[in-house]
Amino acid sequence: MSVDTRHLASNVERADPLEPMPVLVGRPSDRELNDQLMGFWAQTRRGWLALFGIASSLTGLLFLAIGYTFAKGIGAWGNNVPVAWAYDIINFVWWIGIGHAGTLISAILLLFQQKWRTSINRFAEAMTLFAVMQALIFPVIHLGRPWFAFWLFPYPNTMQMWPNFKSPLLWDVFAVSTYFTASLLFWYVGLLPDLAALRDSARSRASRIVYGIFSLGWRGSARHWRHYRIAYLLLAGLCTPLVLSVHTIVSFDFAVSQLPGWHTTIFPPYFVAGAIFSGFAMVLTLLIPARVVFGLKNVVTERHLDNMAKVMLATGMMVSYGYACEHFIAWYSGNPYEAFVFFNTRATGPFAPVYWLMMTCNVLVPQALWFPSVRRNTIVLWVISILVNVGMWCERFIIIVTSLHRDFLPSSWAMYRPTWVDWSILAGTIGFFGGLFLLFLRFVPSISASEVKELRRELEHEAAPHAAEAGHGGAR
Amino acid sequence: MKDFVLAEFNDEVALCAAARRLRALGHGDLDTHSPVPLHGVDEALGLKRSVVPAIAFVGGLLGAIGGYAMQWWMNAVDFPINVANRGFHAPPANVPITFECTVLLSTLSIVFGLFALCGFPRPHHPVFDVEAFRTASIDALWLSARVNAAGAEEVAEELRRLGAVQVARVPEEERR
Repeated sequence: MSVDTRHLASNVERADPLEPMPVLVGRPSDRELNDQLMGFWAQTRRGWLALFGIASSLTGLLFLAIGYTFAKGIGAWGNNVPVAWAYDIINFVWWIGIGHAGTLISAILLLFQQKWRTSINRFAEAMTLFAVMQALIFPVIHLGRPWFAFWLFPYPNTMQMWPNFKSPLLWDVFAVSTYFTASLLFWYVGLLPDLAALRDSARSRASRIVYGIFSLGWRGSARHWRHYRIAYLLLAGLCTPLVLSVHTIVSFDFAVSQLPGWHTTIFPPYFVAGAIFSGFAMVLTLLIPARVVFGLKNVVTERHLDNMAKVMLATGMMVSYGYACEHFIAWYSGNPYEAFVFFNTRATGPFAPVYWLMMTCNVLVPQALWFPSVRRNTIVLWVISILVNVGMWCERFIIIVTSLHRDFLPSSWAMYRPTWVDWSILAGTIGFFGGLFLLFLRFVPSISASEVKELRRELEHEAAPHAAEAGHGGAR
Repeated sequence: MKDFVLAEFNDEVALCAAARRLRALGHGDLDTHSPVPLHGVDEALGLKRSVVPAIAFVGGLLGAIGGYAMQWWMNAVDFPINVANRGFHAPPANVPITFECTVLLSTLSIVFGLFALCGFPRPHHPVFDVEAFRTASIDALWLSARVNAAGAEEVAEELRRLGAVQVARVPEEERR
């Protein structure tokens, strides 16, 4: 890619000693940004095809395993009584949590006017959408009779019944479906100017028509921008409390029950922090290879990775505080059932290796991020991000399975073992997620070109307010 | 019979000056086109504040009232469900869904309100007939004026005088 190497070169002489890690390397023109951010999708690469092949195979496995579940029933899974919730709910909570970082980056950081969000928000929002899609699969296939999934919604029916609105499970239906709808609309509205730019720089008639339809006729008119900017800001304002509410309500599924290990008031904030922690880890897992493969190092700079690593460290500390608080309350409450779950079942029981893996990945490993040299080493950062994802999956496993498998009466205790169907569905959703993400990288600008163009203007304005006033407004 | 006169400008200062000049000459039907939102064009074109916040508020209000009323009517009136002898109408339990309905309705009204205000979807517009206009979404600043066909040449001449890099004319009705 000739364009960005030129920027990297020109940056050396322009580098600001007071700003060692810029949010945008160099000051590429609008046309150069357009060519760079919209150009890479044009060629199909072999590596892309290979990855897409793997993702498609895993997606096939997913639908095979789901079909097998539908044919055989939930008995195909390792679930039993008392472990009635297992991989289905673990994976649901894990995927929903991953989605939260996207909304955090796109909405909350927009409200806080964090410039570094600009280059990564589209990427993170797409991750949110695809993660929530994976999450939505699980409650439905866990219904037992998934063809009646529409019973979850209040609709006038011949049974003359309405759902029970006092149940957190129904709150979850509303929270997750609202979250998916709002994230989709937010993402699409943000895409409009870039879809128009794709339409206008398209080489073939077919892509001009397709992007023409999806851009809805965006002309970059002053009237469009005037409504668009306030609409985008309001959507961000609404998505901010929404994202906090979603994982809060997911945690109510557990906290409202009276099961030791679930029945704690710290769950809502602790779940939200865990969600953001795992979501940032997933953004890093995807972004670190993508910025290298697509030559985006001048737009997604070390500054972005450094900031994301700091957010991961902060949320990781909140999660660690959550663990400490849970254990303290288990001891301080004097409740023998609660203490048994935390000090016997989890730390020394049959799932102790998972517990200690969780503690290692979520509490110990992120401590390395205190060191700037670790945050700047992309390979180490990438490995840490994967370990955090593993750790957060283990956390949901520990919360759900260990609390259930030791029931109140020892006569009701049972062991839980996942089957090949459980593993296939988990692996399959990872493949499905990856496949959707690869399609996104190929057909949609994964970095918001219009916002980076605006960012460049803002940065120029900050550097030289008067010169900027007189000359640059223009685009060429 | 109206025509669109399109003019490309090199910077936003000239663009805003041209918009102000044309408005002073009595041409009200103006618009600017740019790849990013520009400062000062709203004032130059005399655009009022967007009504999107009002739409969002009304949508949110309807969502809040509708969401709460739905839960109350369904669980306390039409099909009362006794959960552990709590009241049929249990306000705290209705909070989460009321909140979600508020956000959902507000979001939907913002997005569809935005589409309605912008006149979307409208994949084709006369300005797209000018091939050079395609740069408006990439890196160029354009001014468009919808004027009487008879006076179009005069406006084009004025825009050239105001420093337009290139000027083009399109009839509003498509040539068939």
